[in-house]
Amino acid sequence: MRRRDFLRGVGAAGAAGLAGCAGLVRTRAANVPPVIENRPNAVYVPSHVEAMKVSGVASAGAYRCALTYSFPHRFWTVSIDRTERVSIREDDAVHLMPVVWHAETGVVPVTTNPKIEISEGGETVTSLSPWPMLSQPMGYHFGDNVELPGDGTYDVTVRTGAISAATDALAADAATFEFEFDYARETVRDIEFTTYPDEQGSTGAVPPMEMETVPTSQVPKPDALPGRPLGAATSGDAVFVATAMEDATPFGGTAEETYLAVSARTPYNRFVLPMMSLSATLERDGETVFEGSLSTALHSELDYHYGASVPSVDAGDVVRLAVDVPPQVARHEGYETAFFDVPPVEIA
Amino acid sequence: MDQRSDRGIPRRAFLRSAVAIGGASALAACLDRESVDVPTGPDDLSTLPDRQHAWNAVSATDDHGNVVQPRHRILLALNLAGDGAPSGVDRETTDSALRSLDRAYERSHDGLLFTVGYSPAYFERFDAALPDAVDLPMPEPLAAFEDPDPDTPDAMVHLASDHASVVLGAEQALRGETASLNSVDVEAALTDVFAVADRRTGFVGEGLPASHQDVDGVPDSDPVPEDAPLYMGFKSGFSKNQATEDRVTIQGGPFAGGTTQHVSNIRLNLSQWYEQDSRFQRVGKMFCPAHARTGAVEGVGDNLGDSSGMSACPAADDSAREDGMVGHSQKMVSVREDDRPIILRRDFDSTDGGHAGLHFVTLQRRIEDFVATREAMNGTDLSGGAVGERNNNGILQYVDVRTRGNFLVPPRRLRALPPATPEGATAEGADAPA
Repeated sequence: MRRRDFLRGVGAAGAAGLAGCAGLVRTRAANVPPVIENRPNAVYVPSHVEAMKVSGVASAGAYRCALTYSFPHRFWTVSIDRTERVSIREDDAVHLMPVVWHAETGVVPVTTNPKIEISEGGETVTSLSPWPMLSQPMGYHFGDNVELPGDGTYDVTVRTGAISAATDALAADAATFEFEFDYARETVRDIEFTTYPDEQGSTGAVPPMEMETVPTSQVPKPDALPGRPLGAATSGDAVFVATAMEDATPFGGTAEETYLAVSARTPYNRFVLPMMSLSATLERDGETVFEGSLSTALHSELDYHYGASVPSVDAGDVVRLAVDVPPQVARHEGYETAFFDVPPVEIA
Repeated sequence: MDQRSDRGIPRRAFLRSAVAIGGASALAACLDRESVDVPTGPDDLSTLPDRQHAWNAVSATDDHGNVVQPRHRILLALNLAGDGAPSGVDRETTDSALRSLDRAYERSHDGLLFTVGYSPAYFERFDAALPDAVDLPMPEPLAAFEDPDPDTPDAMVHLASDHASVVLGAEQALRGETASLNSVDVEAALTDVFAVADRRTGFVGEGLPASHQDVDGVPDSDPVPEDAPLYMGFKSGFSKNQATEDRVTIQGGPFAGGTTQHVSNIRLNLSQWYEQDSRFQRVGKMFCPAHARTGAVEGVGDNLGDSSGMSACPAADDSAREDGMVGHSQKMVSVREDDRPIILRRDFDSTDGGHAGLHFVTLQRRIEDFVATREAMNGTDLSGGAVGERNNNGILQYVDVRTRGNFLVPPRRLRALPPATPEGATAEGADAPA
């Protein structure tokens, strides 16, 4: 497997919400900045962003897995409406991130929680189920800080369970991806990070990283979603884009029903915003046509989304969305204060 | 193995380590330190119950009436030599070896409790199939995200006692390494008939996990509470969270009075659990989010009494929807029958392989009862939205199933190499439905 180094928070992605970003690149030899004081309750520009490296890419059927890593860093787990800060442990060697995606479409199987087993010379060193996470500039991924006994070449096995999807081609059986991971403390220490001394703490986000081999978890632009566009709305910094697709059979409905799909994403970067409880009400001329919770599904064009089969969606219908529980994904800096207070919104 | 044993560590830590090490020297050292006087078993073995698994009446109980599990355990996986059905001589030797244990120690937690079970692979040695009343399939993965090795020795012996020296002594006798056990003659050894394919050891009960937390899978910060009976830090096995022995007993057919046993080995990865999760999260994931909010669980949960208090938790699908988190106990509510689970846990923690683990031994009338229980634990219907496949989905994130095995634990009268279709009257279950 070829090893490549990828940076980069510092990029020129045009759609970024961070104008005039002039980040300063440093390595771990310098201490990472502390958590910013007075963070807004919104998506904000973090004090710094870590670069990441790709140890290798492995294939299993239609899916690929990249084993990526950076130096250990702080993050926040999310339970219900609380965040819990996870600090770096003394023996944490790397922040390890297995990134799984469907090769043809780039769709990330959001709900499939990979298992990682790290061994050396046939002896298991550690095994874990990493956290689902959201970061700038990587987007949605699984990751955790991992302790390793020292420099060396480790065998890393990433296992994923069966993937179920509304699109047949995305469905997959359980899979195993194997890697050889060369770990050297010095190499990890030298991974660069970028600081944003001028912009840190202001609302906005650093642009998505651009990598040749590994996709970010961006969902389609509103006009690239299939179906009949119903509009978009923003609440609590979360962006909701609704579309109606005739024939709900791929999603468990009937051919006569319409599938109401809602794609939720982060502002600025269009990263998928998964693992929340979302309810919808569909109103027509003051009458409720549909009211209920939305399920989640994977689809090759919709990507990961929330949806329900409804009798029909007519022009002039009003879609009301309510977030019953915020996205239950761990957060990296810049996202840990966002998406918790999301009032109901209306798409008309 | 245990490098700390001569450095003045607490006595119980040494004793447990002795069980993990095994062998004559471990037993000798153990007897040296653990001065126990265990009564011998009865001369008239017909006074012993027909159910091998009838342990509760001879187990200790706590202040709340919960059965306290025997503290020290050994599982011996055994294989017969050669193919085909065992001979009558093999059966007599096996019977003799097991009777020696019966006579050597009183049948109680203070003496010795044990069962012998047989796998589907064993019963394939016979031409006839097991009767319909016995549900004993080959082991299979029970979740989309697990990949266990099938555990298929012919037989599985489960030894249990509150005294390390007793399980070690019983093992020595079964292996033919001692002619006398607790001053009682050992007439035969199981190793005259079987080869030992695998040896697994463990412990359960207050103090033992804490004194054995210097092991992979548990962080170095010594996070396991001193009074925790299990590595994850909470009490389990509340009497209302256990099936009754009647509920797990096979009711009809020649194996009436027996039960089925599922044995899985689960690796525990508790770094996240203890170093990244908060107590709020641990209580929410083990019990239910409502318990976390109200602070219903004090310490390891002794204050809960004889149940995990699930009546104070909303339905699992409501918590999944509204909290994005479901508790392990909360998911189990859906498989209760007469307000009790349908499986009886006899599990214990382990340091086998130098890694924190759990030998999850359960008893149930039919293996399908275990499968239904495990399906509830998977929470598949609850996940996919805010609840992840394993994230915030009970304790799934921290456990990794490595092996699964199914065994039939026959009634005592058939415990020595039973045929697949025994003849003769049944001691129990004569009133089984036609």
